[in-house]
Amino acid sequence: MNDIHSNDRPAWINQANQVLDDSVRDLDAATLSRLNRARQAALAQQRPRASRAWLLPAGLASACAMLLAVAVWQPRHRTETQSTAPIATGTIATIDDGDSEETSAEFYQNLEFYAWLDAQNKGGDG
Amino acid sequence: MAEIAGTMTGSQLEFARRVDAISTNQRALDQFLRGVERRALRMAELACGSRDDALDVVQDAMCAFVRNYAAKPEADWAPLFHRVLDSRLNDFHRRRTVRSRWLAVFDRKSDDDDALDPIEQAQDTQDPGPLLRLAGSEAGKALDAALKALPLRQRQAFLLRMWEGFDVATTAQVMQCSEGSVKTHLSRALAALRRALEDHQ
Repeated sequence: MNDIHSNDRPAWINQANQVLDDSVRDLDAATLSRLNRARQAALAQQRPRASRAWLLPAGLASACAMLLAVAVWQPRHRTETQSTAPIATGTIATIDDGDSEETSAEFYQNLEFYAWLDAQNKGGDG
Repeated sequence: MAEIAGTMTGSQLEFARRVDAISTNQRALDQFLRGVERRALRMAELACGSRDDALDVVQDAMCAFVRNYAAKPEADWAPLFHRVLDSRLNDFHRRRTVRSRWLAVFDRKSDDDDALDPIEQAQDTQDPGPLLRLAGSEAGKALDAALKALPLRQRQAFLLRMWEGFDVATTAQVMQCSEGSVKTHLSRALAALRRALEDHQ
């Protein structure tokens, strides 16, 4: 890149470039190792990013599944809650029916007594 | 079943293609960073005055570049990397200016305190550093000192235009300023360097 205008430049600038190039070429091993580690650390950032691209659709899918589950579960729960009340009422009704049946059976068993009692009342009135 | 098998094969192929594209991009990035890292370190060292700080700045610039610009076309990588590096160097320079102001306040308050001298603790930016000790020439030392003495923007203009070989427009893009500012910074840098290097011409 730095050869583009090198012919038009003053000589001292080319010399300065040469000095800078020399200083870059003769870096010690420790510095080169640290540069290598820095480069690897920078490149390692790219790997998780590719896998992170899956996180958004996966998160959206999970959120949709949860919403769907809540939407399905809530109406069922509501129906169950609503159906509990009629069952209770029905039970009470059944209990009432049972009472009335017992009452009527007792009534039929003592029917003769009630007829006699009625006759007695009529005789008393007359 | 055949349709499912076909879809699986297609998605597997797509996955393999994606993995291949990522690894190709990583190889290209690795090659690019290998090509620019030494010059970037040299630029950072001239701006920071210390090898350790320069390495930190270069690593930070590499990480930010890969994070933000890895997907850009390869032809744009060099100006973009230098733009990130220039921005990091500006940040470093700003932090150091603030720190030196605080140090100056501290120095004024503790004139009578002989226990710690902040000036002695501060870094010597005129120290040639190991790079030029390796180069070992008087011209190299003089250039190093002259470059370190330049203001940050003038030094960046000189290094980007004259050493990296960017044209005025690209240098302006990297330094996030107008082309006129680049020309002004460069002209002042050349004049200052010429004065400083007169003995070595």
